[in-house]
Amino acid sequence: MLLQSAVLPDAGWNYFLSIVAVSLYVSGTAVALSTLASLPVALAVGFGDFPGKRAVAAVINTGMGFPSVVVGLLVLLLVSNQGPLGELGLVFTPKAMILSQFVLATPVITSISLSAVESVGEDVRDAAFALGGTDADVALAVIKEARYGIVTAVLAGFGRAISEVGSILIVGGNIVYSDGTSYTRTLTTAITVEARQGRYEAGLVLGAALLALVLGVNWLGSWVRSRGRGRGSQ
Amino acid sequence: MSPPDRDDGVEQAARRREDSADSRRVAPARSTDERAPTLTADDIRYAYGDEPLFSAASLSVAPGEVLTVVGPSGAGKTTLLGLLGLFRPPDAGTVRWEGRDVWGRSDEERLAIRRRIGTVFQEPALFNESVARNVGYGLRVRSSWRDRLRDAAARAIGRTDPSDRVREALETVGLAEKADRNALSLSGGEAQRVAFARALAVEPDVLLLDEPTSNLDPRNTAVLEAVVAEAREAGLGVVVATHDMHQAERISDRVAVLLDGTVIETGPPEQVFDDPDDPRTRKFVTGELLY
Repeated sequence: MLLQSAVLPDAGWNYFLSIVAVSLYVSGTAVALSTLASLPVALAVGFGDFPGKRAVAAVINTGMGFPSVVVGLLVLLLVSNQGPLGELGLVFTPKAMILSQFVLATPVITSISLSAVESVGEDVRDAAFALGGTDADVALAVIKEARYGIVTAVLAGFGRAISEVGSILIVGGNIVYSDGTSYTRTLTTAITVEARQGRYEAGLVLGAALLALVLGVNWLGSWVRSRGRGRGSQ
Repeated sequence: MSPPDRDDGVEQAARRREDSADSRRVAPARSTDERAPTLTADDIRYAYGDEPLFSAASLSVAPGEVLTVVGPSGAGKTTLLGLLGLFRPPDAGTVRWEGRDVWGRSDEERLAIRRRIGTVFQEPALFNESVARNVGYGLRVRSSWRDRLRDAAARAIGRTDPSDRVREALETVGLAEKADRNALSLSGGEAQRVAFARALAVEPDVLLLDEPTSNLDPRNTAVLEAVVAEAREAGLGVVVATHDMHQAERISDRVAVLLDGTVIETGPPEQVFDDPDDPRTRKFVTGELLY
Protein backbone atom coordinates (compact mmCIF):
# COMPACT_ATOMS: atom_id res chain seq x y z
CA MET A 1 0.00 0.00 0.00
CA LEU A 2 1.45 3.32 -0.96
CA LEU A 3 0.80 6.61 0.67
CA GLN A 4 0.75 9.55 -1.59
CA SER A 5 -0.91 12.89 -1.65
CA ALA A 6 -3.15 13.47 -4.61
CA VAL A 7 -4.37 16.44 -6.52
CA LEU A 8 -7.89 16.45 -7.89
CA PRO A 9 -7.09 17.77 -11.40
CA ASP A 10 -4.37 15.13 -11.91
CA ALA A 11 -6.35 12.10 -10.83
CA GLY A 12 -9.60 13.47 -12.22
CA TRP A 13 -12.78 11.47 -12.01
CA ASN A 14 -11.21 8.36 -10.53
CA TYR A 15 -9.97 10.34 -7.57
CA PHE A 16 -13.32 12.07 -7.12
CA LEU A 17 -15.43 8.94 -7.47
CA SER A 18 -13.21 6.90 -5.15
CA ILE A 19 -13.53 9.58 -2.48
CA VAL A 20 -17.32 9.56 -2.81
CA ALA A 21 -17.34 5.75 -2.70
CA VAL A 22 -15.19 5.61 0.45
CA SER A 23 -17.34 8.30 2.10
CA LEU A 24 -20.55 6.39 1.34
CA TYR A 25 -19.08 3.03 2.33
CA VAL A 26 -17.69 4.25 5.67
CA SER A 27 -20.66 6.38 6.70
CA GLY A 28 -23.30 4.00 5.30
CA THR A 29 -21.80 1.00 7.09
CA ALA A 30 -21.33 2.94 10.33
CA VAL A 31 -24.93 4.19 10.26
CA ALA A 32 -26.31 0.74 9.43
CA LEU A 33 -24.42 -0.78 12.37
CA SER A 34 -25.42 2.11 14.62
CA THR A 35 -29.07 1.63 13.73
CA LEU A 36 -28.86 -2.07 14.57
CA ALA A 37 -27.30 -1.24 17.92
CA SER A 38 -29.47 1.79 18.68
CA LEU A 39 -32.97 0.38 18.16
CA PRO A 40 -32.77 -2.34 20.83
CA VAL A 41 -31.31 0.20 23.28
CA ALA A 42 -34.03 2.75 22.45
CA LEU A 43 -36.70 0.06 22.90
CA ALA A 44 -35.20 -1.22 26.15
CA VAL A 45 -34.92 2.25 27.64
CA GLY A 46 -38.25 3.41 26.17
CA PHE A 47 -40.17 0.35 27.38
CA GLY A 48 -38.29 -0.27 30.58
CA ASP A 49 -39.14 1.03 34.00
CA PHE A 50 -35.93 0.69 35.98
CA PRO A 51 -33.94 2.74 38.48
CA GLY A 52 -31.56 5.11 36.75
CA LYS A 53 -33.59 5.29 33.55
CA ARG A 54 -33.29 9.08 33.46
CA ALA A 55 -29.55 8.86 33.98
CA VAL A 56 -29.23 6.42 31.07
CA ALA A 57 -31.27 8.74 28.85
CA ALA A 58 -29.09 11.68 29.95
CA VAL A 59 -25.92 9.76 29.05
CA ILE A 60 -27.34 8.93 25.62
CA ASN A 61 -28.27 12.56 25.02
CA THR A 62 -24.86 13.73 26.19
CA GLY A 63 -23.30 11.36 23.67
CA MET A 64 -24.81 13.42 20.87
CA GLY A 65 -22.30 16.11 21.66
CA PHE A 66 -19.17 13.94 21.79
CA PRO A 67 -16.28 15.93 20.22
CA SER A 68 -15.25 13.96 17.16
CA VAL A 69 -11.51 14.50 17.68
CA VAL A 70 -11.76 13.04 21.19
CA VAL A 71 -13.64 10.04 19.79
CA GLY A 72 -10.96 9.72 17.12
CA LEU A 73 -8.21 9.80 19.73
CA LEU A 74 -9.93 7.16 21.88
CA VAL A 75 -10.55 4.89 18.88
CA LEU A 76 -6.93 5.35 17.81
CA LEU A 77 -5.77 4.25 21.28
CA LEU A 78 -8.09 1.28 20.99
CA VAL A 79 -6.94 0.12 17.55
CA SER A 80 -3.29 1.21 17.61
CA ASN A 81 -0.66 -1.53 17.74
CA GLN A 82 -0.33 -1.18 21.52
CA GLY A 83 -4.10 -0.94 22.06
CA PRO A 84 -6.51 -3.73 23.07
CA LEU A 85 -7.61 -4.20 19.44
CA GLY A 86 -4.10 -3.73 18.03
CA GLU A 87 -3.83 -7.33 16.85
CA LEU A 88 -6.68 -6.79 14.44
CA GLY A 89 -4.61 -4.35 12.42
CA LEU A 90 -7.35 -1.80 12.08
CA VAL A 91 -5.35 1.36 12.41
CA PHE A 92 -5.45 3.61 9.30
CA THR A 93 -8.08 1.46 7.61
CA PRO A 94 -11.69 2.15 6.60
CA LYS A 95 -12.75 -0.26 9.37
CA ALA A 96 -11.27 2.02 12.03
CA MET A 97 -13.11 4.93 10.40
CA ILE A 98 -16.34 2.93 10.55
CA LEU A 99 -15.71 2.27 14.23
CA SER A 100 -15.19 5.93 15.05
CA GLN A 101 -18.25 7.00 13.05
CA PHE A 102 -20.24 4.24 14.74
CA VAL A 103 -19.32 5.78 18.11
CA LEU A 104 -20.37 9.22 16.90
CA ALA A 105 -23.62 8.22 15.16
CA THR A 106 -24.95 5.77 17.77
CA PRO A 107 -25.92 8.33 20.44
CA VAL A 108 -27.65 10.48 17.81
CA ILE A 109 -29.68 7.59 16.42
CA THR A 110 -30.41 6.17 19.88
CA SER A 111 -31.51 9.49 21.32
CA ILE A 112 -33.87 10.44 18.48
CA SER A 113 -35.19 6.85 18.24
CA LEU A 114 -35.80 6.88 21.99
CA SER A 115 -37.91 10.03 21.65
CA ALA A 116 -39.81 8.41 18.79
CA VAL A 117 -40.40 5.19 20.76
CA GLU A 118 -41.52 7.11 23.84
CA SER A 119 -43.96 9.10 21.74
CA VAL A 120 -45.84 5.89 20.89
CA GLY A 121 -48.64 5.68 23.41
CA GLU A 122 -48.87 2.86 25.91
CA ASP A 123 -52.34 2.18 24.53
CA VAL A 124 -50.77 1.07 21.23
CA ARG A 125 -48.49 -1.38 23.07
CA ASP A 126 -51.46 -2.65 25.06
CA ALA A 127 -53.45 -3.09 21.84
CA ALA A 128 -50.65 -5.13 20.24
CA PHE A 129 -50.38 -7.26 23.39
CA ALA A 130 -54.14 -7.69 23.70
CA LEU A 131 -54.35 -8.85 20.09
CA GLY A 132 -52.09 -11.76 20.92
CA GLY A 133 -48.71 -10.21 20.26
CA THR A 134 -45.58 -11.59 21.90
CA ASP A 135 -42.97 -9.22 23.34
CA ALA A 136 -41.23 -9.24 19.94
CA ASP A 137 -44.52 -8.44 18.18
CA VAL A 138 -45.18 -5.55 20.56
CA ALA A 139 -41.64 -4.22 19.95
CA LEU A 140 -42.14 -4.46 16.18
CA ALA A 141 -45.50 -2.71 16.45
CA VAL A 142 -43.86 0.14 18.37
CA ILE A 143 -41.02 0.40 15.83
CA LYS A 144 -43.58 0.51 13.07
CA GLU A 145 -45.56 3.24 14.78
CA ALA A 146 -42.35 5.17 15.44
CA ARG A 147 -41.02 4.60 11.91
CA TYR A 148 -41.05 8.24 10.80
CA GLY A 149 -39.10 9.27 13.89
CA ILE A 150 -36.68 6.39 13.37
CA VAL A 151 -36.11 7.40 9.73
CA THR A 152 -35.35 10.91 10.99
CA ALA A 153 -32.92 9.42 13.53
CA VAL A 154 -31.09 7.46 10.83
CA LEU A 155 -30.87 10.54 8.62
CA ALA A 156 -29.52 12.61 11.50
CA GLY A 157 -26.98 9.87 12.26
CA PHE A 158 -25.92 9.78 8.62
CA GLY A 159 -25.60 13.56 8.58
CA ARG A 160 -23.39 13.42 11.68
CA ALA A 161 -21.23 10.65 10.17
CA ILE A 162 -20.74 11.91 6.62
CA SER A 163 -19.97 15.47 7.64
CA GLU A 164 -17.52 14.46 10.35
CA VAL A 165 -13.80 15.06 9.79
CA GLY A 166 -11.84 15.02 13.06
CA SER A 167 -11.99 11.39 14.09
CA ILE A 168 -11.63 9.82 10.63
CA LEU A 169 -8.63 11.99 9.97
CA ILE A 170 -7.01 10.62 13.14
CA VAL A 171 -7.90 6.93 12.75
CA GLY A 172 -8.00 6.75 8.93
CA GLY A 173 -4.90 8.72 8.09
CA ASN A 174 -6.39 10.37 4.95
CA ILE A 175 -4.60 7.87 2.67
CA VAL A 176 -4.71 7.62 -1.13
CA TYR A 177 -3.17 4.92 -3.33
CA SER A 178 -0.31 5.63 -5.69
CA ASP A 179 -2.75 5.75 -8.60
CA GLY A 180 -4.45 8.66 -6.94
CA THR A 181 -7.59 6.85 -5.80
CA SER A 182 -8.76 6.93 -2.21
CA TYR A 183 -8.09 4.34 0.46
CA THR A 184 -9.18 6.22 3.58
CA ARG A 185 -9.75 9.67 2.17
CA THR A 186 -13.31 10.92 2.31
CA LEU A 187 -15.01 14.04 1.02
CA THR A 188 -14.45 15.89 4.30
CA THR A 189 -10.81 14.95 4.72
CA ALA A 190 -10.16 15.69 1.03
CA ILE A 191 -11.61 19.18 1.53
CA THR A 192 -9.12 19.81 4.33
CA VAL A 193 -6.28 18.74 2.03
CA GLU A 194 -7.45 20.97 -0.80
CA ALA A 195 -7.94 23.93 1.52
CA ARG A 196 -4.55 23.45 3.14
CA GLN A 197 -2.89 23.42 -0.28
CA GLY A 198 -4.76 26.51 -1.45
CA ARG A 199 -6.84 24.70 -4.09
CA TYR A 200 -10.06 26.34 -3.10
CA GLU A 201 -11.90 25.54 -6.35
CA ALA A 202 -11.28 21.83 -5.85
CA GLY A 203 -12.36 22.18 -2.22
CA LEU A 204 -15.58 23.88 -3.28
CA VAL A 205 -16.32 21.15 -5.83
CA LEU A 206 -15.87 18.50 -3.15
CA GLY A 207 -17.97 20.56 -0.73
CA ALA A 208 -20.75 20.82 -3.28
CA ALA A 209 -20.59 17.05 -3.80
CA LEU A 210 -20.84 16.50 -0.04
CA LEU A 211 -23.86 18.79 0.19
CA ALA A 212 -25.49 17.06 -2.78
CA LEU A 213 -24.93 13.69 -1.11
CA VAL A 214 -26.51 14.83 2.17
CA LEU A 215 -29.41 16.46 0.33
CA GLY A 216 -29.93 13.31 -1.72
CA VAL A 217 -30.06 11.10 1.35
CA ASN A 218 -32.46 13.49 3.06
CA TRP A 219 -34.64 13.57 -0.01
CA LEU A 220 -34.68 9.77 0.00
CA GLY A 221 -35.76 9.84 3.65
CA SER A 222 -38.52 12.33 2.93
CA TRP A 223 -39.70 10.20 0.04
CA VAL A 224 -39.83 7.10 2.24
CA ARG A 225 -41.78 8.99 4.90
CA SER A 226 -44.26 10.48 2.44
CA ARG A 227 -44.73 7.08 0.79
CA GLY A 228 -45.43 5.53 4.18
CA ARG A 229 -47.93 8.21 5.12
CA GLY A 230 -49.73 7.87 1.81
CA ARG A 231 -50.17 4.12 2.09
CA GLY A 232 -53.61 3.13 3.18
CA SER A 233 -54.97 6.65 3.06
CA GLN A 234 -56.44 6.48 -0.41
CA MET B 1 -66.22 8.21 2.02
CA SER B 2 -69.50 10.06 1.87
CA PRO B 3 -71.85 10.29 4.88
CA PRO B 4 -74.56 8.08 3.33
CA ASP B 5 -72.05 5.17 3.28
CA ARG B 6 -71.44 5.60 6.94
CA ASP B 7 -75.15 5.79 7.55
CA ASP B 8 -75.67 2.60 5.56
CA GLY B 9 -73.19 0.81 7.77
CA VAL B 10 -74.85 2.15 10.89
CA GLU B 11 -78.32 1.30 9.59
CA GLN B 12 -77.31 -2.25 8.69
CA ALA B 13 -75.73 -2.80 12.06
CA ALA B 14 -78.72 -1.21 13.82
CA ARG B 15 -81.07 -3.54 11.93
CA ARG B 16 -79.01 -6.51 13.05
CA ARG B 17 -79.28 -5.21 16.59
CA GLU B 18 -83.08 -5.00 16.35
CA ASP B 19 -83.26 -8.51 14.92
CA SER B 20 -81.01 -9.73 17.67
CA ALA B 21 -83.07 -7.92 20.32
CA ASP B 22 -86.26 -9.47 18.86
CA SER B 23 -84.77 -12.93 19.09
CA ARG B 24 -83.85 -12.28 22.70
CA ARG B 25 -87.40 -11.19 23.45
CA VAL B 26 -88.92 -14.25 21.79
CA ALA B 27 -86.58 -16.78 23.35
CA PRO B 28 -86.15 -16.71 27.09
CA ALA B 29 -82.69 -15.65 28.20
CA ARG B 30 -80.44 -18.65 27.96
CA SER B 31 -79.52 -20.28 31.18
CA THR B 32 -75.82 -19.83 31.71
CA ASP B 33 -75.92 -21.73 34.97
CA GLU B 34 -75.44 -25.06 33.21
CA ARG B 35 -72.44 -23.89 31.23
CA ALA B 36 -69.00 -24.17 32.66
CA PRO B 37 -67.40 -20.75 32.86
CA THR B 38 -64.66 -20.04 30.37
CA LEU B 39 -62.86 -17.36 32.35
CA THR B 40 -62.97 -17.07 36.12
CA ALA B 41 -61.40 -14.81 38.72
CA ASP B 42 -61.34 -16.35 42.21
CA ASP B 43 -60.73 -14.07 45.17
CA ILE B 44 -58.17 -12.02 43.32
CA ARG B 45 -56.27 -9.29 45.10
CA TYR B 46 -54.36 -6.50 43.49
CA ALA B 47 -52.63 -3.39 44.80
CA TYR B 48 -50.90 -0.43 43.25
CA GLY B 49 -47.91 -0.06 45.53
CA ASP B 50 -49.24 0.02 49.06
CA GLU B 51 -52.78 0.88 48.01
CA PRO B 52 -54.96 -2.20 47.68
CA LEU B 53 -57.50 -2.06 44.87
CA PHE B 54 -59.18 -5.44 45.32
CA SER B 55 -59.32 -7.40 48.52
CA ALA B 56 -61.14 -10.43 47.17
CA ALA B 57 -62.89 -10.00 43.83
CA SER B 58 -64.54 -12.98 42.15
CA LEU B 59 -66.48 -13.32 38.93
CA SER B 60 -66.81 -15.59 35.94
CA VAL B 61 -68.14 -15.54 32.41
CA ALA B 62 -69.59 -18.48 30.52
CA PRO B 63 -69.95 -19.03 26.76
CA GLY B 64 -72.87 -17.10 25.28
CA GLU B 65 -73.13 -14.79 28.26
CA VAL B 66 -72.77 -11.04 28.65
CA LEU B 67 -71.49 -10.12 32.10
CA THR B 68 -71.40 -6.42 32.86
CA VAL B 69 -69.16 -5.05 35.58
CA VAL B 70 -70.52 -1.80 36.99
CA GLY B 71 -68.96 0.39 39.61
CA PRO B 72 -67.90 3.95 40.26
CA SER B 73 -64.88 5.52 38.58
CA GLY B 74 -61.72 4.35 40.28
CA ALA B 75 -63.29 1.11 41.54
CA GLY B 76 -60.83 -0.87 39.45
CA LYS B 77 -62.93 -2.01 36.50
CA THR B 78 -60.09 -1.43 34.02
CA THR B 79 -57.58 -3.17 36.28
CA LEU B 80 -59.95 -6.09 36.72
CA LEU B 81 -60.26 -6.45 32.95
CA GLY B 82 -56.48 -6.21 32.66
CA LEU B 83 -56.15 -9.12 35.08
CA LEU B 84 -58.76 -11.12 33.15
CA GLY B 85 -56.94 -10.28 29.90
CA LEU B 86 -53.71 -11.68 31.41
CA PHE B 87 -51.88 -8.38 31.13
CA ARG B 88 -50.46 -9.02 34.61
CA PRO B 89 -50.92 -11.59 37.36
CA PRO B 90 -52.98 -10.82 40.47
CA ASP B 91 -51.13 -10.38 43.76
CA ALA B 92 -53.19 -13.24 45.19
CA GLY B 93 -56.09 -15.38 44.10
CA THR B 94 -56.51 -17.29 40.86
CA VAL B 95 -57.45 -16.51 37.28
CA ARG B 96 -58.74 -19.66 35.60
CA TRP B 97 -59.29 -20.54 31.98
CA GLU B 98 -61.68 -23.46 31.55
CA GLY B 99 -61.14 -24.33 35.20
CA ARG B 100 -57.32 -24.33 35.23
CA ASP B 101 -55.07 -21.74 36.81
CA VAL B 102 -53.62 -19.57 34.05
CA TRP B 103 -50.58 -18.25 35.87
CA GLY B 104 -49.47 -21.74 36.84
CA ARG B 105 -49.01 -22.67 33.18
CA SER B 106 -46.06 -22.20 30.84
CA ASP B 107 -45.57 -18.99 28.87
CA GLU B 108 -46.55 -20.78 25.66
CA GLU B 109 -49.78 -22.08 27.15
CA ARG B 110 -50.60 -18.68 28.56
CA LEU B 111 -49.95 -17.06 25.18
CA ALA B 112 -52.32 -19.57 23.59
CA ILE B 113 -54.99 -18.65 26.15
CA ARG B 114 -54.37 -14.94 25.71
CA ARG B 115 -54.95 -15.44 22.01
CA ARG B 116 -58.43 -16.74 22.77
CA ILE B 117 -59.33 -13.48 24.49
CA GLY B 118 -60.21 -10.31 22.58
CA THR B 119 -59.98 -6.93 24.28
CA VAL B 120 -61.39 -3.55 23.30
CA PHE B 121 -60.30 -0.51 25.31
CA GLN B 122 -62.04 2.76 26.00
CA GLU B 123 -59.77 4.39 23.41
CA PRO B 124 -59.47 2.53 20.08
CA ALA B 125 -55.62 2.67 19.99
CA LEU B 126 -55.44 1.97 16.27
CA PHE B 127 -52.19 1.56 14.39
CA ASN B 128 -51.09 4.12 11.81
CA GLU B 129 -51.96 1.99 8.79
CA SER B 130 -55.03 0.99 6.83
CA VAL B 131 -58.24 -0.20 8.46
CA ALA B 132 -57.78 -3.65 6.91
CA ARG B 133 -54.20 -3.91 8.24
CA ASN B 134 -55.43 -2.95 11.70
CA VAL B 135 -58.13 -5.59 11.64
CA GLY B 136 -55.70 -8.18 10.30
CA TYR B 137 -53.06 -7.51 12.97
CA GLY B 138 -54.17 -10.28 15.31
CA LEU B 139 -54.22 -12.76 12.43
CA ARG B 140 -50.71 -11.76 11.36
CA VAL B 141 -49.15 -12.23 14.80
CA ARG B 142 -50.68 -15.71 14.87
CA SER B 143 -49.13 -16.66 11.54
CA SER B 144 -45.62 -18.02 11.02
CA TRP B 145 -42.68 -15.70 10.40
CA ARG B 146 -42.41 -17.13 6.92
CA ASP B 147 -46.00 -16.10 6.13
CA ARG B 148 -45.39 -12.74 7.69
CA LEU B 149 -42.34 -12.14 5.50
CA ARG B 150 -44.36 -13.22 2.47
CA ASP B 151 -47.08 -10.78 3.49
CA ALA B 152 -44.51 -7.99 3.88
CA ALA B 153 -43.05 -8.76 0.46
CA ALA B 154 -46.51 -8.77 -1.14
CA ARG B 155 -47.26 -5.48 0.54
CA ALA B 156 -43.99 -3.95 -0.67
CA ILE B 157 -45.03 -4.57 -4.27
CA GLY B 158 -48.59 -3.43 -3.60
CA ARG B 159 -50.22 -6.85 -3.84
CA THR B 160 -52.32 -7.20 -0.74
CA ASP B 161 -55.85 -8.33 -0.33
CA PRO B 162 -57.66 -8.46 3.02
CA SER B 163 -58.45 -11.98 4.18
CA ASP B 164 -62.02 -13.24 4.39
CA ARG B 165 -61.97 -12.95 8.17
CA VAL B 166 -60.90 -9.31 7.97
CA ARG B 167 -63.70 -8.59 5.49
CA GLU B 168 -66.20 -10.46 7.64
CA ALA B 169 -65.18 -8.57 10.78
CA LEU B 170 -65.42 -5.25 8.97
CA GLU B 171 -68.86 -6.16 7.62
CA THR B 172 -69.97 -6.97 11.16
CA VAL B 173 -69.23 -3.41 12.24
CA GLY B 174 -70.49 -1.86 8.99
CA LEU B 175 -67.11 -0.60 7.77
CA ALA B 176 -66.30 -2.96 4.91
CA GLU B 177 -66.09 -0.08 2.45
CA LYS B 178 -63.47 1.72 4.48
CA ALA B 179 -60.97 -1.15 4.49
CA ASP B 180 -58.37 0.85 2.55
CA ARG B 181 -58.67 4.07 4.52
CA ASN B 182 -55.96 5.03 6.97
CA ALA B 183 -57.32 4.11 10.38
CA LEU B 184 -56.20 7.38 11.93
CA SER B 185 -58.41 9.33 9.51
CA LEU B 186 -61.61 7.80 10.88
CA SER B 187 -64.06 9.46 13.26
CA GLY B 188 -64.04 8.38 16.91
CA GLY B 189 -67.07 6.15 16.46
CA GLU B 190 -65.70 4.49 13.35
CA ALA B 191 -62.33 4.01 15.03
CA GLN B 192 -63.96 2.19 17.94
CA ARG B 193 -65.87 0.01 15.47
CA VAL B 194 -62.54 -0.89 13.86
CA ALA B 195 -61.21 -1.77 17.33
CA PHE B 196 -64.19 -4.12 17.73
CA ALA B 197 -63.56 -5.65 14.30
CA ARG B 198 -59.89 -6.09 15.20
CA ALA B 199 -60.83 -8.03 18.34
CA LEU B 200 -63.47 -10.11 16.53
CA ALA B 201 -61.31 -11.02 13.53
CA VAL B 202 -59.25 -13.45 15.63
CA GLU B 203 -62.46 -15.31 16.61
CA PRO B 204 -61.93 -15.15 20.37
CA ASP B 205 -63.86 -17.21 22.92
CA VAL B 206 -64.07 -14.33 25.36
CA LEU B 207 -64.41 -10.62 24.64
CA LEU B 208 -63.36 -8.04 27.24
CA LEU B 209 -64.77 -4.57 26.65
CA ASP B 210 -63.56 -1.68 28.79
CA GLU B 211 -66.04 1.22 28.67
CA PRO B 212 -66.30 0.61 24.92
CA THR B 213 -68.97 3.18 24.16
CA SER B 214 -68.32 5.87 26.75
CA ASN B 215 -67.04 8.35 24.14
CA LEU B 216 -69.51 7.48 21.40
CA ASP B 217 -72.71 8.99 20.07
CA PRO B 218 -75.97 7.01 20.36
CA ARG B 219 -75.80 5.70 16.78
CA ASN B 220 -72.33 4.21 17.14
CA THR B 221 -73.27 2.95 20.60
CA ALA B 222 -76.22 1.15 19.02
CA VAL B 223 -73.97 -0.43 16.40
CA LEU B 224 -71.54 -1.73 19.01
CA GLU B 225 -74.28 -3.00 21.29
CA ALA B 226 -75.57 -4.93 18.28
CA VAL B 227 -72.11 -6.40 17.81
CA VAL B 228 -72.07 -7.45 21.48
CA ALA B 229 -75.45 -9.15 21.01
CA GLU B 230 -74.16 -10.94 17.91
CA ALA B 231 -71.06 -12.09 19.76
CA ARG B 232 -73.27 -13.44 22.54
CA GLU B 233 -75.43 -15.27 20.01
CA ALA B 234 -72.27 -16.73 18.47
CA GLY B 235 -71.38 -18.21 21.85
CA LEU B 236 -68.71 -15.81 23.04
CA GLY B 237 -68.45 -14.91 26.69
CA VAL B 238 -68.46 -11.11 26.93
CA VAL B 239 -67.33 -9.04 29.91
CA VAL B 240 -68.22 -5.35 29.68
CA ALA B 241 -66.97 -2.75 32.15
CA THR B 242 -69.23 0.27 32.17
CA HIS B 243 -70.69 2.94 34.40
CA ASP B 244 -73.70 3.30 32.10
CA MET B 245 -76.50 1.58 34.06
CA HIS B 246 -78.93 1.79 31.14
CA GLN B 247 -76.48 0.05 28.87
CA ALA B 248 -75.83 -2.60 31.51
CA GLU B 249 -79.58 -3.19 31.74
CA ARG B 250 -79.92 -3.41 27.94
CA ILE B 251 -77.13 -5.80 27.10
CA SER B 252 -76.43 -7.95 30.17
CA ASP B 253 -77.32 -11.47 31.16
CA ARG B 254 -75.72 -10.80 34.51
CA VAL B 255 -74.42 -7.72 36.26
CA ALA B 256 -71.53 -7.66 38.75
CA VAL B 257 -71.23 -4.69 41.07
CA LEU B 258 -67.64 -3.77 41.93
CA LEU B 259 -67.49 -1.71 45.11
CA ASP B 260 -65.20 -1.40 48.12
CA GLY B 261 -62.52 -3.57 46.54
CA THR B 262 -64.73 -6.56 45.88
CA VAL B 263 -67.66 -7.77 43.79
CA ILE B 264 -70.46 -7.16 46.27
CA GLU B 265 -73.26 -8.59 44.19
CA THR B 266 -73.82 -10.50 40.96
CA GLY B 267 -77.12 -11.32 39.36
CA PRO B 268 -79.51 -10.73 36.48
CA PRO B 269 -79.97 -7.04 35.66
CA GLU B 270 -83.59 -6.94 36.89
CA GLN B 271 -82.48 -8.25 40.27
CA VAL B 272 -79.40 -6.04 40.63
CA PHE B 273 -81.12 -2.87 39.49
CA ASP B 274 -84.64 -3.39 40.90
CA ASP B 275 -84.24 -5.63 43.90
CA PRO B 276 -80.60 -5.82 44.98
CA ASP B 277 -79.48 -7.95 47.90
CA ASP B 278 -76.83 -5.53 49.09
CA PRO B 279 -77.99 -2.09 50.31
CA ARG B 280 -74.78 -0.56 48.84
CA THR B 281 -75.89 -1.69 45.38
CA ARG B 282 -79.21 0.11 45.75
CA LYS B 283 -77.40 3.26 46.90
CA PHE B 284 -74.94 3.04 44.00
CA VAL B 285 -77.68 2.46 41.43
CA THR B 286 -79.81 5.34 42.70
CA GLY B 287 -76.79 7.64 42.91
CA GLU B 288 -77.02 8.04 46.68
CA LEU B 289 -73.68 6.41 47.30
CA LEU B 290 -70.95 8.94 47.91
CA TYR B 291 -67.40 7.89 47.00
